[in-house]
Amino acid sequence: MLRIKQLLSLLAVFGLATFAYASEGEGVAPAAAKLVDFGHGWAITNSMATGWLVSAALIGVIIFVLRSPKVLPTKSQAVFESLLETLRDLFEPIVGKKAFPVTFPLLVTFFVFILLQNWMGLLPGVGTVGRGHYVDGQFHLTTPWIRPFTADFNSTIALALVSFGAYLIIIFKYAGPKLILWDLFGNKADKKETPGWLYPFLSLVFLVVGCIEVFSIAIRPFTLSVRLFGNVFGGENLLHGTGFIFIFYFMELLVGLIQATVFTLLSAVYIGLICNHGDDHDHAEDGHGAEAHH
Amino acid sequence: MYPVIAEITGNIGSAFGLLGAAIGVGMIGQKAAEAVGRNPGASGKILVQAIIGMALAEGLGILALFLAKANS
Repeated sequence: MLRIKQLLSLLAVFGLATFAYASEGEGVAPAAAKLVDFGHGWAITNSMATGWLVSAALIGVIIFVLRSPKVLPTKSQAVFESLLETLRDLFEPIVGKKAFPVTFPLLVTFFVFILLQNWMGLLPGVGTVGRGHYVDGQFHLTTPWIRPFTADFNSTIALALVSFGAYLIIIFKYAGPKLILWDLFGNKADKKETPGWLYPFLSLVFLVVGCIEVFSIAIRPFTLSVRLFGNVFGGENLLHGTGFIFIFYFMELLVGLIQATVFTLLSAVYIGLICNHGDDHDHAEDGHGAEAHH
Repeated sequence: MYPVIAEITGNIGSAFGLLGAAIGVGMIGQKAAEAVGRNPGASGKILVQAIIGMALAEGLGILALFLAKANS
């Protein structure tokens, strides 16, 4: 009972304290502020610098913890192992056995990287520490020094392009151009069960559907990047614009986790649609062949 | 009629896109809850499907939010 009372009083203090600070009600600009300007559009922005710092911290932690992995794991190694096991159980049925060993490192990296970059935007000092000037006695921030990496559209475009490039490489390596073309444009009707006059018409229909599918595949990097950017930047804008109301921190924690999961899951699903799909069709064709023979 | 329409201010393009996204996400959530109620053991797999579906539906809404604003 004492624990619950302590927790409730702490929540009340946090909740009320934010109203004391809720004077600056402005949002965040979509374009990241430049820290070092090289001219002609080349610059180092604050989100780039933050991304480098968090990546360096992550690499440092992993090297320090996993310098020499043992068969009987230490506690910190067991944490990483349980994380990898959870992700493997999640992604292996989606991607399929053939492409899984190559895809798994990519997916784990995406998940951990995007999760950390999303969550670091909730640390105190992000977006509020920086250079500015005084206006009527109040401090106006013009160049924040820290900004989450995924709250910048350029960064999420880069992530989506990496995901799309990996998708192209993996499906060409593990499925082959013939299977891809058949999957996109091929006539999937059973030749033995459709009437003869209908079959060419269905071929035409599948061709048109394939063109629509190519367009929807080409749009994937765009939707991946806009989804991640919109959610993280929207959350940052919300927090800054409403004066850091306490309850929104929990929502941003959840949104950061869900967006990292969704980005990784979608990358896995796109790869699995071609690579995992192919296994089913090979088995189905063998089944049909066996039935026709007896 | 035109004076009445001219009174509407704000970002209508974003509004319709986000309305569609919200309704879509809600419907996916409803069906997911129903499916878990029928088969509680499959809760993990249903969660994965539901999150993928919600992400795709919500993505278009966010597209509407940011593109309508950019072109206004």
